[in-house]
Amino acid sequence: MSRILGKEGSEVLLLGNEAIARGAIEAGIGFASAYPGTPSTEIVETLAGVAKKLGIYVEWSANEKVALEAAYAASLSGVRALAAMKHVGLNVAADAFMSIAYTGVRSGLLIISAEDPSMWSSQNEQDNRYYGLLAKVPVFEPYTPQEAKDMALYAFDFSEKFEHPVLMTPTTRVSHTRGPVRLGRLRNPTRKGFFKRDIERFTLIPAHARVRRKILVEKWERITDAVSDVPFNRIEGDGKTLIVASGISYAYVREVLNLMKLNDVRLLKLGTPVPLPRGLALKALDGVERVLVVEELEPVVEMQLKALANEEGFSVKVHGKDYVGYEGEMTLERAYSAISEFLGLGRGTPWKPSKASLEEVPELPPRPPAMCPGCPHRATFYVLRRAVNSLRLKPVYSGDIGCYALGVMPPFQQQDIILEMGGSVGTANGFGQVLEGQIPIAIIGDSTFFHAGLPALVNAVYNRSPMLVLVMDNRVTAMTGEQPDPGTGLNAVGEPAPAIKIEEVAKGIGVEKVVVFDPYDTKEAFKALREALEYIIKERKPAVAVAKRACALLIDRMARRRGIRTPKYQVKLDACTACGVCYNAFTCPAISVRDDGKAYILEDLCTGCGVCAQICPFNAIVKVEEGDKEWEDLWF
Amino acid sequence: MGRPMVLKSLNMVVSGVGGQGLITLASLLAGSAVESGTKALVAETHGLSQRGGSVEVHVRLGDVIAPLVPKGGADLILGLELIETSRTAYYLKENGCILTSDMLLRPGIPNVKMPKREELINFLKKVTDKVYVVPASEMAEKVGGSIFINSVMLGALAATGLLNGLVDINILEKNVRGLRMGEKNLEAFKLGFDYCSRGRCSCR
Ligand SMILES: Cc1ncc(C[n+]2csc(CCOP(=O)(O)OP(=O)(O)O)c2C)c(N)n1
Repeated sequence: MSRILGKEGSEVLLLGNEAIARGAIEAGIGFASAYPGTPSTEIVETLAGVAKKLGIYVEWSANEKVALEAAYAASLSGVRALAAMKHVGLNVAADAFMSIAYTGVRSGLLIISAEDPSMWSSQNEQDNRYYGLLAKVPVFEPYTPQEAKDMALYAFDFSEKFEHPVLMTPTTRVSHTRGPVRLGRLRNPTRKGFFKRDIERFTLIPAHARVRRKILVEKWERITDAVSDVPFNRIEGDGKTLIVASGISYAYVREVLNLMKLNDVRLLKLGTPVPLPRGLALKALDGVERVLVVEELEPVVEMQLKALANEEGFSVKVHGKDYVGYEGEMTLERAYSAISEFLGLGRGTPWKPSKASLEEVPELPPRPPAMCPGCPHRATFYVLRRAVNSLRLKPVYSGDIGCYALGVMPPFQQQDIILEMGGSVGTANGFGQVLEGQIPIAIIGDSTFFHAGLPALVNAVYNRSPMLVLVMDNRVTAMTGEQPDPGTGLNAVGEPAPAIKIEEVAKGIGVEKVVVFDPYDTKEAFKALREALEYIIKERKPAVAVAKRACALLIDRMARRRGIRTPKYQVKLDACTACGVCYNAFTCPAISVRDDGKAYILEDLCTGCGVCAQICPFNAIVKVEEGDKEWEDLWF
Repeated sequence: MGRPMVLKSLNMVVSGVGGQGLITLASLLAGSAVESGTKALVAETHGLSQRGGSVEVHVRLGDVIAPLVPKGGADLILGLELIETSRTAYYLKENGCILTSDMLLRPGIPNVKMPKREELINFLKKVTDKVYVVPASEMAEKVGGSIFINSVMLGALAATGLLNGLVDINILEKNVRGLRMGEKNLEAFKLGFDYCSRGRCSCR
């Protein structure tokens, strides 16, 4: 049986995100929605894996706003619901989020925003605990997978008690840490509900909203009182020094205090940084001579604590970011040196890398993430550069977020802007109106197109902005682990679903020039791209090119699992001139270099796409073995 | 026979290249620890790092609370590829142990200047006296390909004695057998184990 449905009382190793999913199952959720995004993805992925078995509804939504709105509706209908997203996803859902605080909810609604301090896989490290303050929504911040599970369960009851949404903000080191989790009782889910009308509450016209605003302010007072009793907040130890630690920072601080063998410190552990539990914080402040707040990112707790201390007439100075700093995630070293310095013991830590490991490191080549062997994006970038050059165009590449963002790396460097999801087409709208002698090329993936690219393309048609919108349609949301999207033909639980065709969408909203090509056929791709570019130059209107070829990683994995043989290619050494086109200009990771500069193919890594054979100027790469017939059928 | 020394906790950094099965290795080890009654934490980074980039996974066993190993605080670097082992060497504490595969993978970027194998190994030997380079490429090849390197290295780790009192080796073996292609993985595990057994990779 799946670990996630393990027996009550057993202890299993779970990823933080799996633990959250388990907590939600223990809370009896009937509805879960998400748009994928690291580090949040596995929450709904885990739920999707057991959805049929539990009889609950789970979906990948087109974007985070839709995910939240849909979960909200489930909650209003009496079904406990969860919406998960990465931190920047909450920006997309923010409009709904702010208003949901006004209407409140009925059955428990848990919104999870997985934070990413240090930006392991994100474009920023915004602190979404501020969203809690902004909207007046309580924020739960767990420090281990175990606490994440317990919190998820607790949050549903809390949400229901106050008829208010709850925001949970696990960070990468909770979401993507595996740890032991003691499982609780499974509850039967409620999957179907009934919406009882309450027009004054749920229709936020100004007259109603003003009433709801009053209720919200009053509710926030009650929530602020109640969080002092939440079991994830507590005071440990006693002394004249107070250290406050929120979320995962507690784990680091606790370990550092144990290491330092400091017994005369009072530690306020917070699981609800927003709102600051007033009662408990006042108890913690009572009689202390110095205070240090240790938290990641922004001084959310520090600010509230300073305000409280000031209001209540405490003269003690509250420190925080002045010792801890802003950037990046918490570490043992950082917590140790902040605490040590704060206590007047100097900035050192007890850990010392050997001198040689810092000073005598040989020159190591960087190993940035790269497009996979056989990645259709690589072929598209390669051909796009040649199509653009053949027309002597000066392109501005408006890039976007997805695997194709890796096209920013040498040798491609075909991303001039990467901002946020959908930003490629959005910015191309402005470029198209103001540039002279340069042509905007928006590069966007299929999932990103559906997520936020669509309104921007509507804008381009409506306002006649000349641009090429190149959709790299690899049929899935690849970057986050190949989840299905509205174009795939499958839903979150693996059932067949309508596959929305991007080329049809483009035509439907009035794009006059739409070309579709297979990036594995470099001649056809070149022709199609040239044709679209020529149209834009002549007509000064937008054109759409769809590069359609499924994610090679996905197909290759399916082939390996099912024992299907892929085509095999080899370099003919007598024909290879060591020109380096395949390994320096195309840079397929399955092609390596011999000492004499000639290429060879790493059979283990090669997916058999055959693009290298097409781009080799000396026809030195040849197919030596056909793949199984079933291999062709895997592509969709 | 003296009582084997048992560590209260074990801090390790597993490093390698995305796709080498680091997360499989680390979660199998940690799962076996939990089954053996030992607390375990594994800190991973997903997303971008999967695409053939450098990956490091932190594994902490025993009496630990926070997920990350401090720089200069690791008892062991378990490396699946030599460049990546070298890149993460600063995590090692003084006199810590480096157990690395001999695999050398060229990064998929243009005009790479590859370091020499000997150069990397010499560097590691300056970092600590306890460096063991396991001929994992050949062993994995014998079993069926480079995808088995992670199991070879897990076997090598099991033979160092570092897991004593933290992870029951029988449970570990059982879980290796439970992997997809379990028998082959177990074969790889045993090759690594035999190579390092009888004190040949002594991390004490
Ligand atoms: C608002 C927001 N939500 C989610 C993400 C996470 N994310 C990054 S790339 C990506 C998917 C891209 O999929 P697609 O556009 O199909 O490109 P592919 O990776 O398949 O090439 C997602 C969901 C994000 N960065 N921002």
